[in-house]
Amino acid sequence: MLRTVLSDLARLRLNGFVCSVTQVREKGHLNRPRLRNPYWFMRKQRSQTDDQVTGENRSFIKEVIHDTYGTPALIKGVQTYEQKQLIKTNEVPVSTEPWTPAVRRCGLIARKIGQYPLWLKNGERIRTTLLQVVDNHVIKYTPPEEYKPTQRPNVHNLNRYGCILVGAESTNPAQLTKEYCGIFRDSGVMPTKNLARFIVSPQAALAPGTPLNVGHFRVGEFVDVRGKTVYHGFQGVVKRHGFKGMPASHGVTKTHRRPGNIGGGGEKGRVWPGTKLPGHMGNRWRITKGLRIWRINTKYNVMWVQGSAVPGSTNGLVYIYDTILPLRKPQVAPPMPTLYEQPEDDAPDDIWYEQVHNFKDESITYKPE
Amino acid sequence: MNINVRILTKSVSQQYAFKRIVTFSTKPTQQAAVAAVPQQQEVTGPSVRKPIVPAHYRFVYPEFLPDPKIEWRNAIREKLERLDMLDRRRQIELPEFYVGSILAVTSSDPHAAGKTSRFVGICIHRERCGLRARFILRNVIDHQGIEVVYELYDPTIQKVEVLRLEKRLDDSLFYLRDALPEFSTFDENMEAEPLEEGAPVPINDIKVVLRPRPWLERWERQNLLGVANIEQYIKDKHRKSAEKVQKPWEKFDLMKQYRATIPEEEQKEIFAEVHTELHTLELQRKRNKRKRTFVKPKHLA
Repeated sequence: MLRTVLSDLARLRLNGFVCSVTQVREKGHLNRPRLRNPYWFMRKQRSQTDDQVTGENRSFIKEVIHDTYGTPALIKGVQTYEQKQLIKTNEVPVSTEPWTPAVRRCGLIARKIGQYPLWLKNGERIRTTLLQVVDNHVIKYTPPEEYKPTQRPNVHNLNRYGCILVGAESTNPAQLTKEYCGIFRDSGVMPTKNLARFIVSPQAALAPGTPLNVGHFRVGEFVDVRGKTVYHGFQGVVKRHGFKGMPASHGVTKTHRRPGNIGGGGEKGRVWPGTKLPGHMGNRWRITKGLRIWRINTKYNVMWVQGSAVPGSTNGLVYIYDTILPLRKPQVAPPMPTLYEQPEDDAPDDIWYEQVHNFKDESITYKPE
Repeated sequence: MNINVRILTKSVSQQYAFKRIVTFSTKPTQQAAVAAVPQQQEVTGPSVRKPIVPAHYRFVYPEFLPDPKIEWRNAIREKLERLDMLDRRRQIELPEFYVGSILAVTSSDPHAAGKTSRFVGICIHRERCGLRARFILRNVIDHQGIEVVYELYDPTIQKVEVLRLEKRLDDSLFYLRDALPEFSTFDENMEAEPLEEGAPVPINDIKVVLRPRPWLERWERQNLLGVANIEQYIKDKHRKSAEKVQKPWEKFDLMKQYRATIPEEEQKEIFAEVHTELHTLELQRKRNKRKRTFVKPKHLA
């Protein structure tokens, strides 16, 4: 008897819950800065103690680093090391499987270096953001059968995909912890400041040590750019949600930038989830999708993408992916699994999309009808 | 010769010491910049190895200096931008001009008859850096004030002519919008008035006459030099409030100045990079101009 009553009650509650489905934005994620790192976090920076290393030993450490990874060098506008022990780019591995639109390729780690306008050949002005691919190397590839992450990324049919770990911006390993350097041990790549994992199809697998350049993408294609938006701190509704606020005078007291009413009474007498209220603004991962690549500079590894809405601040890190928008996927096969750059001298630095006006061309004129 | 060079560079550096230049402002070191031109010519002797960038380049090419906001700066972006600017400058002559100069801009226009349009007007404002550099031209046509914003590096611009090269007493001339129309009326068929080579850019100290209030801005608060009759239209309350918002201490605020400007050392680096290219372009234009300027006299005595 009691059991049935309880189950009825439970059903009632369940029904009630199902009926009042509310739109829950943000999924309860807090975006305020985390005060402590998660338990699985691997410390990166070694604590810099003033340990008694003599100048001689210090130079010895430097020598060892230069012997293993090469001397410091400025490669494609980025300060790094000559890593001659890595895969030579002219040894192109032959890809066996053809490209299909369903294939997921590797992405790139880049820095947003600024924005400036370009003009199309019809005279239209477009705003572009410059993304510089900073010294990317493949560190590890995990095939689908071995890839069992504890924190599952939100990818459909994850069991079909492997994972590529990519590092960007080589740095002095003496400043890093032993366990962090261990990530790079098998690949032979110099430890890097930044890491990213990309979920890829097995056809798009890359060998550890492969350098990734901007030639991985081509002009005219579309990319998704993921970055962490600029953090504005705890903001009110006027700045955070664009509320209008209330007048400065005419009898208004103490409610110039407040949200006003936040809900009704009676049945709905509560603050509904998703109500726009003050809170932390920015500091969230965001993806801008379907940005066209207008121009590529291979000398400095820079690409010009559409618009000025790329998340993050100037000089901030962003991740570039092939777009997932179905109508903007490439029609012809992109470089698979990536473009292995040949050391050619005659190739031009700049690759322009056909619609973009090259500054080396003459002024734009219109033909009279 | 070496000693001579050292003395000269010292005198130049003394002139520019502690004077950081606000982009697009030509005011504080006008005389210094003008004075520096002949000196530089002396310096470029056979014993000087490195080309010394003329000190007036920062006024002639202000858009080559990047935005001083530190968060937005990036060396590679700035470099790429400069390369693009030079590429464009190889295609079109973008002459030296200042706020107050009278320009004629010919640009492609899909809606105009003949697909080009030419606009003559006075430059009332110049702003932004790099490829975004732009200026505003103003003229009064058929009793209607017209302003056109041109982007300096817009490839639809076909020709930029300087009809009268001169400066005014202020850094921007937005007050012409509130002035009597004759102060911003210029003949569309005006002919270019060439300056003598090497002559300093003249400063036109004309004082414009404003119309009565209401105005678009509170001109009495802006310490304008080129306005004649501001006192005529303001009352005591305006005077008082204008005094209240004055910030006379700002000229001593070194940090503010530092943040608003590109340091001199960096300016030198930037111009050292583009100087040779700009200089050869200048010489080329001059040669072409000399060829072109020979005109058969119309009236014979």
